[in-house]
Amino acid sequence: QNKAQAREVEEDEKTQQQGKETAPIGTCQSMCPARELRDREAQSRLHRFEVLAGTERARLPRGDPSRAVKEYSRPAAGKDTTAPTNLRPPDVLLKTVHYLIDDIAASLHLHPWTEQVYSFVFDRLRGVKQDMIIQRVSGPRCVAILEPVVRFLIYASYRLCGEPLRRYDPCINETHLQENLSWLLDCYATGTGPHPNQEEFQALGLLYNLSARATQHILELPKRLRSSPAITLAVSINKAFLERNPVCLLRLAQRLSFLQSCALHRHLVACRRDLLLIYSHGYSSRNCRFPLNTLAQLLSLDTSLTAQLCQAYGLTVIQDNEVVFSKAAFTEAEQEKL
Amino acid sequence: MAHITINQYLQQVYEAIDNHEGSFCAELLSFKHPHVANPRLQLASPEEKCQHLLEPPYDEMVAAHLRCTYAVANHDFVEAYKFQTAFQSHKEENWALPVMFAVALDLRIFANNAEQQLQKKSKGQPGEMLEKSAEQLMSCFRVCASDNRAGIEDSKKWGMMFLSNQLFKIYFKINKLHLCKPLIRAIDSSNLKNNYSPAQKVTYKYYVGRKAMFDSDFKLAEEFLSYSFDHCHRSSQKNKRMILIYLLPVKMLLGHMPTHQLLRKYDLMQFADVTKGVSEGNLLLLNEALSKHENFFIRCGIFLILEKLKIITYRNLFKKVYLLLRTHQLPLDAFLVALRMMQVEDVDIDEVQCILANLIYMGHIKGYISHQHQKLVVSKQNPFPPLSSVS
Repeated sequence: QNKAQAREVEEDEKTQQQGKETAPIGTCQSMCPARELRDREAQSRLHRFEVLAGTERARLPRGDPSRAVKEYSRPAAGKDTTAPTNLRPPDVLLKTVHYLIDDIAASLHLHPWTEQVYSFVFDRLRGVKQDMIIQRVSGPRCVAILEPVVRFLIYASYRLCGEPLRRYDPCINETHLQENLSWLLDCYATGTGPHPNQEEFQALGLLYNLSARATQHILELPKRLRSSPAITLAVSINKAFLERNPVCLLRLAQRLSFLQSCALHRHLVACRRDLLLIYSHGYSSRNCRFPLNTLAQLLSLDTSLTAQLCQAYGLTVIQDNEVVFSKAAFTEAEQEKL
Repeated sequence: MAHITINQYLQQVYEAIDNHEGSFCAELLSFKHPHVANPRLQLASPEEKCQHLLEPPYDEMVAAHLRCTYAVANHDFVEAYKFQTAFQSHKEENWALPVMFAVALDLRIFANNAEQQLQKKSKGQPGEMLEKSAEQLMSCFRVCASDNRAGIEDSKKWGMMFLSNQLFKIYFKINKLHLCKPLIRAIDSSNLKNNYSPAQKVTYKYYVGRKAMFDSDFKLAEEFLSYSFDHCHRSSQKNKRMILIYLLPVKMLLGHMPTHQLLRKYDLMQFADVTKGVSEGNLLLLNEALSKHENFFIRCGIFLILEKLKIITYRNLFKKVYLLLRTHQLPLDAFLVALRMMQVEDVDIDEVQCILANLIYMGHIKGYISHQHQKLVVSKQNPFPPLSSVS
């Protein structure tokens, strides 16, 4: 997928050099091309969210043109994906993204979220991306489309992290998130701007990908950008991560916004494990005890979860209020998530 | 040589090929040689002339080379590509290796220039040109690596290290270090690996050492970079300096501090205060030095590695606390005071404990923390083991 995208982008550049003629430009003005809507109606493949109100119980439910959205369909030999009537131009794509996120994902009465809302929005956003790649959308319009998509995928990665694999595959979500994110960061790097949301997304990218590599990218940004509050905080958290100082990391994490916490969230299990591992060595003495509520504060958890976590890593909790750290006792926990 | 006619030039090439004079032939196809400035050779379409005098595939190769001289500032990949087909057809011979070296080198340099040119006009994806040239070099590498039939003497495997060095240069430039791995594996498993020329080995070890450094394998990085530094030709001061930029941080992480003279000799005074700060446990000085030379360190890609020196600096600072207090039961407050002296304002006692616990975990301090007594209890023997014994 990544390669395919890279190839697309490469081709994009080639055609730009040749005079911008060959990239198809969509003419479809609705979220779903008329042809697809007809086909899916006939094959009874409409999603619940796309059915015209009142026809749900009919033998073949009718599609609602104001709610139907083009599906993602795998490219295959002999399939013409470039017909302008099947492609939505950038402004329609942007409207589609807003519809999917504001009216579907953020809706209070559509559920269940995992099976229906997430899978619907995820699939349709993938379709949006496909249209963008075929039309070689670039520049500010590309940024405007990608930004909400990245936000959605970050939020989903947090909201669904406890779901069983058959309902939500974190790997697929991550692959798409990384692709969209790096595409977005490329847009920032090559486009002229202004990009008013760049700080937000650079910070989110760093928090999601805590690592030396991601930091090197941030270090190469202009100083003005690097010193913005969001990025400074993300950099400090990353520094705590690289220095393996989970106490500092968890403390700084409390100052993050909601979406930033979602981005960081996938690192917290490892971070708390590190803390218990380090403390198992640092406080390893038979006669010493460590108060459970202090540990709970350090871990940003309540005491009962803290006790559970300690036990999962082989550590003894005495009388529900003290932990005995011992480097010999520490064992890796099985996939017990919190 | 600078003013010969096209026919004379082609005659020379013909003889060089006929006599298997690899190095001379390489000169005739290299952009380091003065003939490229000869206007009589700079032809837009030299194909016919070349075909007339030379056998395929050399005719196309030389034609491509001459076209390239014509379009010097431009990029030309055709040249190397044609060369590759020529090279493959040399069954059980390797006299043409020097020719390939010359062409490969020019190819990379041109790709580099083309890249810069395109960037200035802000055309094309960054790294595109270099990636394409890497593909060409890679196909040469494959030919060399798979030359199993010829005897050692005549094997094209002798070309592997040169090509992988060229590829390393590109991969480091476009930041695709993971692509180095298959090359390293191929060379590692080759029985020639110790017999390449010293110059090639120095370059090779320099890049493999740098890669090890980015993978946090500091022992290996030290070994390779040290080799490279020790064997680098003494007149290549610039190269020795480049090696040091990476060798110094690795050595420091392993507890070996460079001398002032060395830093002065190689004009690397940016490291002076870093070194001083680390060895004295002077966190303040280290932080100041890092931010003062931030741009230099970021450009070299070592800023993050140098940040890792903080852990050692904590160790050295805390050792001082221990030496001052002369006891084995050290109040945690004392460490907080020490950090505050270093103007680390945003830490509290919890973070001090975390730093200490981490140092104990890493083996830099032998002892344990007692939370009840708010004390660090250190071992009576060797509480701060020498850095070189801890990895």
